[in-house]
Amino acid sequence: MREMDLTGVPCPMNWVRARLALEEIEDGEPLELVLDPGEPMRSVPLSAREDGHDVTVTGNRVTIVKR
Amino acid sequence: MTLTDSELERYSRQLVLPEWSGEAQERLRGSSAIVVGAGALGSPAATYLAAAGLGRIGVVDSDDVELSNLHRQPLHYTPDIGLRKAENAAVKLRALNPEVEVDPYPARLGSDNAETIVTGADVVVDCADSFETRYAVNDACCALGVPLVEGAVLGLGGQVMAIVPGQTACYRCAFPAPPSPESVPSCREAGVLGAVAGIVGSIQALEALKLLTGLGTPLVDRLLHIDGATMEHTLIATERREDCASCSRVAASAQSG
Repeated sequence: MREMDLTGVPCPMNWVRARLALEEIEDGEPLELVLDPGEPMRSVPLSAREDGHDVTVTGNRVTIVKR
Repeated sequence: MTLTDSELERYSRQLVLPEWSGEAQERLRGSSAIVVGAGALGSPAATYLAAAGLGRIGVVDSDDVELSNLHRQPLHYTPDIGLRKAENAAVKLRALNPEVEVDPYPARLGSDNAETIVTGADVVVDCADSFETRYAVNDACCALGVPLVEGAVLGLGGQVMAIVPGQTACYRCAFPAPPSPESVPSCREAGVLGAVAGIVGSIQALEALKLLTGLGTPLVDRLLHIDGATMEHTLIATERREDCASCSRVAASAQSG
């Protein structure tokens, strides 16, 4: 599984990097992100859901399944 | 993905748009535009194209910056009076975005040199202030199959239309012949409000970005008229003319290019 450590990457650059990574994987494939608490953990999962992907959050890890 | 960290940051606020993508950004970086005119329409149009990350922009203008230009041409500042507009625009656009290659053409575009200038462009944004240039640009774009965004402004009104030669109505389909020279007030004689030109030039840049990236629905087979006084926006349908002197003979090979 593709994993990205986005700790220390503020909004919206964390989502920019995640989106570009999502462009490179196939539908149905997961992308796992490690995010800082606070705004990144609130904002990135929300943006991913708005783009239509499946999102699960476990602690500071966010798994996005591309749709 | 080959966008650099600096590009990711520069373009981050468009890269987060659901309608945008890294692929669209890379496509822009591989694209070349010609902006005809570095004045009231060309200033905002070229500015937004450079800012958005075009690979290359050619700016065509034969005039020098004059004091009376400055109220409507925001690429040119007071200390720039007397400079060549094309070259001054290039300096400003490079300063705005050094990732963009900007080529100034300090020449008047006419039927004699239009095809030479337009060749190789992926889109042309016509911000010219004369009908002679407008028809020359349209004819060259049709002959070469290069998409075109026409724009014009006069007084508090403006209009824009996007053209995909061979597929949609061209400028000459909508306006088969230029009006008689006596009936046309040029910008030199008639008034223009800078903010109205800013709206029209910005729409032209947006339409060029749409044609280059496939974003949204381009303003083709329609002419948008804007009345700045009332803010009424009117879409007027246009259609191809089978006997159009510009686009009826566009080669299939040019259309796919």
